[in-house]
Amino acid sequence: MPADRTLRSRLDTLQRPLLRLLHEVFGLSPAMVTGVSLVLSLAAAVAIALRHLPIGLILMAVSQIFDGLDGGVARVYGLGSPAGQKLDTMADRVAEVTIFLAFAVAGTVPIKLVILALVAIALVTSIEQRSGFDPGFKRFVLYFGLWFPYLTLFNVIFVANLAVYVIGLLIIDIKFQRKMDALDGDLDTVASRALALED
Amino acid sequence: MKIFTHILVTTVGVKLLHLHGAEVPLAYAFGVAIDIDHLIKLPFYLKAVGLKEKKLGYYWRSSLQEPVGLLWIVPLCFFLNTYVPALFYVMHLCLDYSVRFEKLPLYPYSKWVARGWLIDVADNTKELIVFVTFACLLIALFVRG
Repeated sequence: MPADRTLRSRLDTLQRPLLRLLHEVFGLSPAMVTGVSLVLSLAAAVAIALRHLPIGLILMAVSQIFDGLDGGVARVYGLGSPAGQKLDTMADRVAEVTIFLAFAVAGTVPIKLVILALVAIALVTSIEQRSGFDPGFKRFVLYFGLWFPYLTLFNVIFVANLAVYVIGLLIIDIKFQRKMDALDGDLDTVASRALALED
Repeated sequence: MKIFTHILVTTVGVKLLHLHGAEVPLAYAFGVAIDIDHLIKLPFYLKAVGLKEKKLGYYWRSSLQEPVGLLWIVPLCFFLNTYVPALFYVMHLCLDYSVRFEKLPLYPYSKWVARGWLIDVADNTKELIVFVTFACLLIALFVRG
């Protein structure tokens, strides 16, 4: 069993009482849990924009807990689907956009830097499924605002995600190179022939 | 194109634009050092081809030197408040796209395969013309001071 699946399985066991509460007692589906997480993120964004940073961070933390639980409900109750995964990813990005923009509205970080950080995250998301590489330098980094200036943290988010994107592209290239190397024949057309074999 | 041609063209660009300070290493990083992906491909070449046999046309390219790279280089330019990375990257691409081997301009987003321009002219001829032209330009720039 791959390490990440073992970890998820253990996490699901630990979370089981909470998952049971959400699904069996409150009747929430994974999509509904994703919705709760998104609503909490929006509330966090409002709090941050109004310069109530500690409240915003607490709401963001609770929303991220729910964000982790939607996958748990889906796995434990066999409700997982590609559409659900897509919804989860979309909700994550919407949450990031609103929370990040809230920092610009509050005047904590210049809007240009917020947009650049969001662009870098969008780039990572655009190839994450194929590269399988996303260390998650996103909302999580914002908690370090308790110790570091947000200007520095947004710089870190931008640079880290841009680096992750470049590494992701190279990972995809290496996978493609392996496909090309496995092909015999004319090297002059090897790229187009390997591409034809891709889904 | 060969590394010497990239160095030459980048040097002319640096001189022509009167770049100084941090912009100079940036110009060489995106005009020349972007070729570092060939080093990443080296273990694959050695595994697939080996040391004894030389296979022409081995696919050495990666997204690091394709137009798709502008997706991260343009935001980087805004971040650094300089056009230099994008400009010298495009110059590097223009040179590479005059060599006729297969290229994947927008991979992994698209399966479009391109060959570049002037594909009927021999690669060595094009490289020679570019090299001589830019060598003359560089000499002229030094003479003018």
